Amino acid sequence: MSQLSPIIPYHRVNTLTGTRTARTLEDPKDIVRQIKKAKRPLFVLGPIATKVSLGDKLLIEYCIDIAKAGNIPICATATTKAKLLEYGVKPDSVYDTVEIINALKDPEWKGVKGEGNHDLVIFLGIRSDLANQGLSTLKHFAPHLSTLTLCKYYHPHADYSLPNIFKDEKWKAILDGVIENLKSEQQ
Amino acid sequence: MELKELSKRLEEVYRKIKAELNWEPVGPTPMPELSDLRNWDMRLLKTYKPFYAPFCDMCCICTFGKCDLTEHRRGACGIDIATQQARLVLLACLIGCSCHTGHAAHILDYLIEKYGPDKKIDLGEGVAVEAPHIRTVLGMKPETLGDLKVAIEYIYKELTHLLSSVHTGQEGSYLDYESKALHAGMLDHVGMEVAELAQISGFNYPTSVAETPLVDLGWNAFDKTKPIILFIGHNPATSTAVVDYLRESGLYDKVEFGGICCTALETARYSDRAKVVGPLSRQLFFVRSGIADVIMTDEQCIRTDITQEAAKVGSALIATLEKAMYGLEDATNMDTDEIVRKMVDEKKQFVILNPRKAAEVAVKVAMEIAPKRRKEWITEEEAKELAKKCSLCGLCEQVCPNLFNIGKGISEVAKGNFDTIRDIFNLCIGCGKCEEECPRNVPIFKIMQQAASKEVWKIRAGRGPIMDTEIRNVGAPITLGTIPGVIALVGCSSYPDHRDLAEVVEEFAKRKYIVVLSGCAGMVAGMWKDADGKTIYEKYPGNFDAGCVVNVGSCVANSHITGAAIKIANIFAALPLRANYEVMADYVLNRVGAVGVAWGPYSQKAAAIATGCNRLGIPVVVGPIASKYRRLYLSRKEEDDWRVMDARKKQIVDTGEPSPEHLIYVCETKEKLMVTLAKLCIRKNDTPQGRAIKLNHYISLYKKYMGGGLPEDLHLYVRRDADIPLVYKKEVKAYLDSIGWKPKEPVGLPTWIGTYPTKVPVDAVIR
Ligand code: SF4
Ligand code: SF4
Ligand code: SF4
Repeated sequence: MSQLSPIIPYHRVNTLTGTRTARTLEDPKDIVRQIKKAKRPLFVLGPIATKVSLGDKLLIEYCIDIAKAGNIPICATATTKAKLLEYGVKPDSVYDTVEIINALKDPEWKGVKGEGNHDLVIFLGIRSDLANQGLSTLKHFAPHLSTLTLCKYYHPHADYSLPNIFKDEKWKAILDGVIENLKSEQQ
Repeated sequence: MELKELSKRLEEVYRKIKAELNWEPVGPTPMPELSDLRNWDMRLLKTYKPFYAPFCDMCCICTFGKCDLTEHRRGACGIDIATQQARLVLLACLIGCSCHTGHAAHILDYLIEKYGPDKKIDLGEGVAVEAPHIRTVLGMKPETLGDLKVAIEYIYKELTHLLSSVHTGQEGSYLDYESKALHAGMLDHVGMEVAELAQISGFNYPTSVAETPLVDLGWNAFDKTKPIILFIGHNPATSTAVVDYLRESGLYDKVEFGGICCTALETARYSDRAKVVGPLSRQLFFVRSGIADVIMTDEQCIRTDITQEAAKVGSALIATLEKAMYGLEDATNMDTDEIVRKMVDEKKQFVILNPRKAAEVAVKVAMEIAPKRRKEWITEEEAKELAKKCSLCGLCEQVCPNLFNIGKGISEVAKGNFDTIRDIFNLCIGCGKCEEECPRNVPIFKIMQQAASKEVWKIRAGRGPIMDTEIRNVGAPITLGTIPGVIALVGCSSYPDHRDLAEVVEEFAKRKYIVVLSGCAGMVAGMWKDADGKTIYEKYPGNFDAGCVVNVGSCVANSHITGAAIKIANIFAALPLRANYEVMADYVLNRVGAVGVAWGPYSQKAAAIATGCNRLGIPVVVGPIASKYRRLYLSRKEEDDWRVMDARKKQIVDTGEPSPEHLIYVCETKEKLMVTLAKLCIRKNDTPQGRAIKLNHYISLYKKYMGGGLPEDLHLYVRRDADIPLVYKKEVKAYLDSIGWKPKEPVGLPTWIGTYPTKVPVDAVIR
């Protein structure tokens, strides 16, 4: 599943950091394949998605499109619920970042739809320090699920992450690609 | 045999706390050891379970390792990742507690040397319960400085045992490590209290008065034409000696003095001529401006490269405490004039451990070098010129702990636009990583000088303990809920945005909460003016009462905030506190709607303070950066155990009400913070009237900051119709009907005593 960090000394006691680190995905087809593999995915939206523009849209609009095209329930954190409502989208659940992570790490949790815990959690729009800590929690304590980040920069604690992306156009192309591929899978 | 041992230990404890003095009966846990309050801790941890966010996958503290703890691997010693996190949290709490206790012990010895051990502790007419923590934890009523030594020795002993438990191959349960961390947190508040009692008595700080002097705040507060002495740290032994020396030598208004961090606050309690430059986040900025002639360091939160930084800008430097000596020569026994000559002519830096001598040297050196020092901030033109070197490579952004786009701000300056860099400055935690990383050596901090506000604000000097009369007045409204809560903003300055603090104070003071501040938070909240040019300290009275804003003082003054919570149980509710920790903590948890906020904590001291609040039943909200502390205490409201004992009926009742919902919790944004604070003030003890007031604020803050609608968990906090705030009656009723809400009986006297194994009888919580 996740790959070993790129350079691991033969003698593991000399390792610099943990030996499990995120696999990078940047081809929208690969990303969609991971999403489609999941039975009960969840999309956790952070407040940065309501503030950052990408192309001529707010980041949150890409999130809404992905959620719709992939039929993925949304968990709104912090102040994102209000923005979603402005776009006519009622989030399937409202938890703050640490609360949703706390629930996710319980394998018995019933999930936001009451159908069982999620097997893939997609994150976008959470401050990178807090996200890093939250993903660390899931990496260590939630072996029952995978995590995928669609943020602009690499998240080592996720299972799947975009690489560091320095050009917004590239990021936009990936997100658009994900939406398109999800849509075509839907048909 | 065991019994005999136990009674021997108790005999010893009773002797130390002067048990024969009959001011209150000695409760069940005098001078508690590691395991004495463990059952209380386990009860807390049952509802508020530890939540770990490992900051590092590895352990590297013994030569078995490094050990990779990912994917359920155990270390070579057998430890798992959760227990390792708990161990590190305990270690942080121990570091924090030993800082405060070390400070307390130093200042106590200094004052005992000066005044003798029999000097009376005197907090003025308004404060009869002088030491709520020492009385509750140790079971002793300290009367003299000498008595305080007993508390210090007790903490030393506990700290040794706690620290030893961190060794490889000791504790193996994360829950037990948490219990030990809670113990360390409790001791921390005792240590802070000792420091405060000693300082207030020894330095005659204001006490038993609400309206303390307003002092100048801001990094433009100094008169730059005069010699300037800057204190950095937390211990006022030397800074007060500087004030004394200036007074005695007729130089009191000829030299400027003030500080960064808590020594600034302490000095302002000693002299209202002292300036408060700002919080920790402004330290490196101010030092690099070169405006200080002499920098005097004492202890804690000082840049460890302060000697190099001072030398770079030509400020003289004196280290005044053993805990931070920077490899400098110890000149404590050198002739004063010789030290001055070497500092001025040879630019030497020294350690001087005698406060009186250090003071004299500092003043003399400052007088000599001030005429040659630069007196102004850099100009806009200079800043623009310096900014032109930036190539927008973005390397600075990659190392910024607060994730800012600094290069953008700098390149804008080159074009003459200072807005972006000003915004960044307001958010910046002042670590200096950006400038260090810059391959083109752009002097980012120098450029930011231009962006920094040249405003001078006001801060109310720390007022110390809350008076007993104030406690009597607010005890009933707080426990009934008609004063909707006490919000305490404390701790360090790594905020997501410095402007958040004043906003929180405004929001809750206007709503008639009691707002309390300390440390860097107290400063930053003052760095804002309303349309009439008034700071929060000029706008709101300094009483401990509804709608007031109280600055208690420095970090160690946090003991007065938790102390006030204990005093509500003791003075207002008349429950004995002597060696009666569980009863006090249980009362606070279930009946006192107080919440702590550490919006930008970075230090181990903050970890200890927060953990001490938690053991006493006070929830704490922290800012996003604090997720790096690795551990929170969270409940899951719909699933957890919300049963309490109704002490009147002696029945266990399932309330289903998550109040308070969490013990330590991270909020990502200011908006979420506002709403969370209102919610965390809810207690099971609230009367219908009190509950309606609290819910009114919860709903209205939710509508204001979360964009409308009703809070998702509102139904959990409405017990009966009478709890529903009038203004929202229709909307709330419709919502409750739609989800099939059913009313439930409020609990008469909610308590946890009787719901877990404890020596304390249920009747102990009734008066
Ligand atoms: S203390 Fe334990 S986990 Fe840490 S390095 Fe040593 S053996 Fe490994
Ligand atoms: S000094 Fe401020 S801007 Fe620079 S790296 Fe630190 S927090 Fe970021
Ligand atoms: S590192 Fe220096 S040159 Fe690069 S963007 Fe930052 S300030 Fe500009």
